[in-house]
Amino acid sequence: MFRRLLASLALGLSLLAALPAQATPQAADPAHVVTTWYRLVLELVRHTPTYSPPVASRAFAYLGVTAWEVTASADPAHRRSLAGQLTDFPAPPPRQPGPHDEAVVLNAALTAATRHFFGNTGPTGQRAMAAMAGKLDTTTAAGLDPETIARSRAYGAAVAAHVIAWAATDGGEVVENMGFPLSYTLTPGPAHWVPTSAIVQQQMPLLPDWARNRPFAMPAANACPLPPPPAYSEAPGSAFRAEAEEVYTTAKSLTDEQKLIARFWSDDPMLSPTPPGHWISILIEIADRDALPVERRTDALARLGVALADAFIGCWQAKFEHDLVRPVTYINRVIDKAWAPMLITPPFPEYPSGHSTQSGAAAEVLSTIFGEDFAFDDATHEDDGLPIRHFPSFRAAAAEAAISRLYGGIHFRAAIDRGLEQGLCIGQHAARLETLQ
Amino acid sequence: MTRALLLLPLLASPALAEDPAIPRFADETASAGLTHSFTGEWEYMVGGGVAAFDCSGDAKPELVLAGGTAPASLWRNESPTGGVLKFTGEESGGGPSGLAYTGVAGLWPLDVDSDGITDLAMLRVGENLLLRGLGDCRFERANEAWGFDGGDAWSSAFAATWEAGATLPTLAIGNYIDRAQDAFPWGSCTDNWLHRPDGPRYTAPLPLTPSFCALSMLFTDWNREGRPALRIANDREYYKGGQEQMWHLSPAAPPRLYTEAEGWQRLRIWGMGIASHDLNFDGYPEYFLTSMADNKLQVLKDPAARPLLPRYADVAFARGAVAQRPYTGGEVKPSTAWHTQFEDVNNDGRADLFIAKGNVSAMPDFAMADPNNLLLQRADGTFVEVGDKAGVASMHTARGGAVVDLNADGWLDLVVVNRNAPSEIWRNQGTEAPGHWIAINARQPAPNLHAVNGWVEVRANGVTQRREITVGGGHASGQLAPQHFGLGTATQAEARVIWPDGSASDWQNLAADAVWTVEK
Repeated sequence: MFRRLLASLALGLSLLAALPAQATPQAADPAHVVTTWYRLVLELVRHTPTYSPPVASRAFAYLGVTAWEVTASADPAHRRSLAGQLTDFPAPPPRQPGPHDEAVVLNAALTAATRHFFGNTGPTGQRAMAAMAGKLDTTTAAGLDPETIARSRAYGAAVAAHVIAWAATDGGEVVENMGFPLSYTLTPGPAHWVPTSAIVQQQMPLLPDWARNRPFAMPAANACPLPPPPAYSEAPGSAFRAEAEEVYTTAKSLTDEQKLIARFWSDDPMLSPTPPGHWISILIEIADRDALPVERRTDALARLGVALADAFIGCWQAKFEHDLVRPVTYINRVIDKAWAPMLITPPFPEYPSGHSTQSGAAAEVLSTIFGEDFAFDDATHEDDGLPIRHFPSFRAAAAEAAISRLYGGIHFRAAIDRGLEQGLCIGQHAARLETLQ
Repeated sequence: MTRALLLLPLLASPALAEDPAIPRFADETASAGLTHSFTGEWEYMVGGGVAAFDCSGDAKPELVLAGGTAPASLWRNESPTGGVLKFTGEESGGGPSGLAYTGVAGLWPLDVDSDGITDLAMLRVGENLLLRGLGDCRFERANEAWGFDGGDAWSSAFAATWEAGATLPTLAIGNYIDRAQDAFPWGSCTDNWLHRPDGPRYTAPLPLTPSFCALSMLFTDWNREGRPALRIANDREYYKGGQEQMWHLSPAAPPRLYTEAEGWQRLRIWGMGIASHDLNFDGYPEYFLTSMADNKLQVLKDPAARPLLPRYADVAFARGAVAQRPYTGGEVKPSTAWHTQFEDVNNDGRADLFIAKGNVSAMPDFAMADPNNLLLQRADGTFVEVGDKAGVASMHTARGGAVVDLNADGWLDLVVVNRNAPSEIWRNQGTEAPGHWIAINARQPAPNLHAVNGWVEVRANGVTQRREITVGGGHASGQLAPQHFGLGTATQAEARVIWPDGSASDWQNLAADAVWTVEK
């Protein structure tokens, strides 16, 4: 990602550097502006400690909506605003009379939105945002008349402010202590989640109230309910114990390919762009590969962002409703006290699998946009030394992401299968949003 | 049916054994005359070290402080024995040390040429320097004389050891971010270097590839095989595909990373500092790794296994040594930990733990008012926080530090380097409990006069305390001082040195409350 980010930025700078002194400047490509900001955002997600997967998904939704709204207003006859389609989202401010430059508009909008949604990143991230804004300000404004620049920047900033004001009321704006409450009451009984880590913060579950956040496209947090997991039992032959034994035996005989899959989709917070960022990374790779025009990029980014954010709201609702014990707890208690999973067990209840739900939602949206048998390469973790993986479809990638959690020893089968189903249901709400007409 | 309510304060402070005696530290920053700050912005967000060593011959350590954008400065120790701390800076008549370089991040004292006069390794944002001691606290640049290539990097970690048969020490230098990538530094970690000697000069440095933005290094004989390995604490904020590292170091062979097949376990933290000590008297060092939020206390999982595998359990939580968030001042956000050092500050015979704390630079997710930690070890191996009660809970933004006896009274004092704030110094006034002590200098013929990577062992009160003599670890800071051991009520102890070649001196009965030199 680092190398691709630099390449992306270098391309933007080259637009300016290549200009002959007297030549008519070429307008900057708004699609490039979108990709460049998103590549930086994927780094900011990785390097801003508050950005656990649910928090990251929220930022992706609002950034996507911001980008779509300024793109949609450039051609309202063929592009529909999400106002009135997303929960409580009012119509954004209109454009002022006069010409706008779409690259300048997008840069202003994404600059303001990124600064807001990543305002608590550290000094390095702040430097990077400032550098990106400064350099793209220069490249996008090259050769434009001052009035157009000012009008375009004002409009982009106004739409960002509009989205930011809407976001402020969703319940997820303020995340304290990286999302870990200072006190929490555990549900008694062996079936329920208990801390699995020796990290102090993680003695509490992550974001237990996240399901109270306002959903985006689905009508309510429990719009896509799940059947309960198999009834808890320690009895040999029971369905629950069979699931635990599947995790245990699979983990003890992992093939190299299964280990690679587990690591490829591990997407650990603060060490990767997180699971929602992984799907955003897939999308922008495809957008660059296929040179998608800006309206197709922002449409896809908005609907994918919404699907991911709704997926975490819906998934968290189910997680804290069922409050199921993690495999490591059960297996250490019932089967093998020395067993440890390959992956680090996340600090929240087990059922359903978050990666499965959000991957199912992402696959539904992207399959709707690009088609069912859309093949692609996934280079999300290339800079971290993991190989590029090829997938014949988005659903195949989602299925692999889901089963990776069993290989990694952090989820039972039911959480994976039901998570994918929940994600499909949630993704349909985002997929049905009307955008390009 | 009852419900279990989890509350953080209960988790963070196990109270199992009788709490140890708390030493009283007096803040003598103002009266001691120490007026120094480590200053700078982005390129100085890490570093900020202090070297503590005696260069005046009075057995009381001087201090050399890194200045960042300001010049480094040497402070002569004029403290009366057992009395208040007193330091004189060069500007006040200390004389030209030859150390007033800018861009200095870290400092480590060692006798590179084994001439009996301590030299300095000076790590900088820019060219690193080896400075030869001339006596009376004067130094001169020796890069050319020793063939040392100082390079041009953002250097951030250092360790040294003498490989078998070598005249000069092997130097490991950790480098941080590529300074040219200031806007997009992620993934831009630059190569660490291994400087090996060939006779009286250094050869071209070997890149320790892959490198992952090292912030602390330590040559340590983790398995007691007699040949130290190189542990590196790496900052996950900037690496891609990285982890904590340990390198094999065999004479005349290229360094080689420990692998998962050899038992090395992947650990990815914001590695910032390393401290080592044999806390459980089993003969092997335990390691404390500083980071952001939770810190790690590593204990060998199976010390009886043969071959011994570098597999460690993190027992910080169980031992009350997590030091994850401020314990005073009201902030609930996680802490940021830097220099760390095991020392027995209350002389009860059990090593305690100091941690320098401070926000990187306006990191909103982490505490801004982040007090330093002083964790006293109980008899059962757990730790209790006493930083506020002892008087060292400064809220300045700390980086480097040294726990060292500055006034030769047997109670270890404290100096801390803060970023963009005055450095601070505290005098340890002792406890109400008996606190006998002993300190051992190990001396062997050149090379490696100070027996680096040898061990000092002290028997008293029915246990054998052990300390490995190391150059490195901590954060940006080093000391060259006698190995200090608390003895509690014991008025004498047996001591011996296990020399770097594996031979051992005879056990000797020594009186407490004195500094002794054991010669080979």
